[in-house]
Amino acid sequence: MSKHMPQERIISNNEVSDKVLAEQIAKLPNEMTPERDLWSGIERAINHKAQEIPKLKQSNIFVPSAWAASIAMVMLVSWFTFSPSINEKGSPALVKTQKESSVTQGQLVAFMQENFQQQKQTLLVSYGQPTVDNLPQAMQKELKQLADARESIRKALLTDENNADLLNLLDFTQQQELKLLQQLYRQYQVI
Amino acid sequence: MDSQINKETKVIDGQALFSGSNRHRADDSEQAWIAQAKQGSQSAFYQLYEKHHRQIYALCWRMLADKDSAEDVCQEVFVVLWQKINNFRGESKFSTWLHSVATNVVLGHLRKHKNWIQRVFSIEDQGPNLAEPSVDLTDDSTLTILDQHIARLPERARLVFVLFAVEGYRHEEISKMLKMAVGSSKSQYHRARNLLKESLTASDFISIDEELNHE
Repeated sequence: MSKHMPQERIISNNEVSDKVLAEQIAKLPNEMTPERDLWSGIERAINHKAQEIPKLKQSNIFVPSAWAASIAMVMLVSWFTFSPSINEKGSPALVKTQKESSVTQGQLVAFMQENFQQQKQTLLVSYGQPTVDNLPQAMQKELKQLADARESIRKALLTDENNADLLNLLDFTQQQELKLLQQLYRQYQVI
Repeated sequence: MDSQINKETKVIDGQALFSGSNRHRADDSEQAWIAQAKQGSQSAFYQLYEKHHRQIYALCWRMLADKDSAEDVCQEVFVVLWQKINNFRGESKFSTWLHSVATNVVLGHLRKHKNWIQRVFSIEDQGPNLAEPSVDLTDDSTLTILDQHIARLPERARLVFVLFAVEGYRHEEISKMLKMAVGSSKSQYHRARNLLKESLTASDFISIDEELNHE
């Protein structure tokens, strides 16, 4: 480390001058020895922190998953709260297909549900048929909420004919559930 | 992670490396320790600690003017170093980078532990407390006389003095670290210097120094 040397100034008697001070600064030892052993505390701290890292990683993984599930839940709650009317002009692709092919909504829901189950099964097989029970409790809860929401929409569709928005919400919920499952099992491949 | 470290062996190894005249060899060793520590080697990290902790302790002691705090903060510096060592890119000397990490840790410690009265009433130090110095000038013979007087400086003046005169930082850098104007940093430095000269003169430093030199 460089040391700044103040300018010299004339002094008399035993008054400490800038020069003397500068000389003393230059003579200051670079090192001092602590009285107690510091390493043992450092070693303990870094080992303790090393153990904390996996926990932190786990919580970091949980955050995006929880957000995805929460967004889906908010959308569902909004849907049931505001009960939007059917907008013919804005009918999404799924409904157009349904109308053009004269397939009933019930059939379409059944087809979507079957398709969802197949995708889910394929996903689970690719991760070696893991069980949800081994996931952390909080994630099991998120998954269950999403599955419950999907089931509620499916039931609502059976009694609400030609509801394009609800149909698309079912599709969205299914996709979210698949994404969340994929994300969780990718991160917890040991399960 | 490494298993338990045999300190005796490490110290002996470390001294053997640094007592030799080949400076490049020591530098190479340090680079190797840094690389290994980045990979999680605690024994390599211990070598870095062994090489640098006395310098870092000196910095902590001078900035904090308290032995116990200096020891605690010196430990904290190395814990932070362990966490941040991957941030060291080799753009500057490792010791320079480590000193900047240490300075930030010390300043963070001071901010955290600032007396609540000082926070509430914004009390800046009111000059050196000669009647009740933070360091008993007779209690530590291992300190140089100047260090003993530095420890008695008011906090802000002491920090600026240590960072500028001892650590070699520029006033522009110090002003950012201490969140003060560049002019304030300069005036605190001049204040510290004048206080030191006064207190050294009052303690008849020159006579003592001459006596010591004659011995």
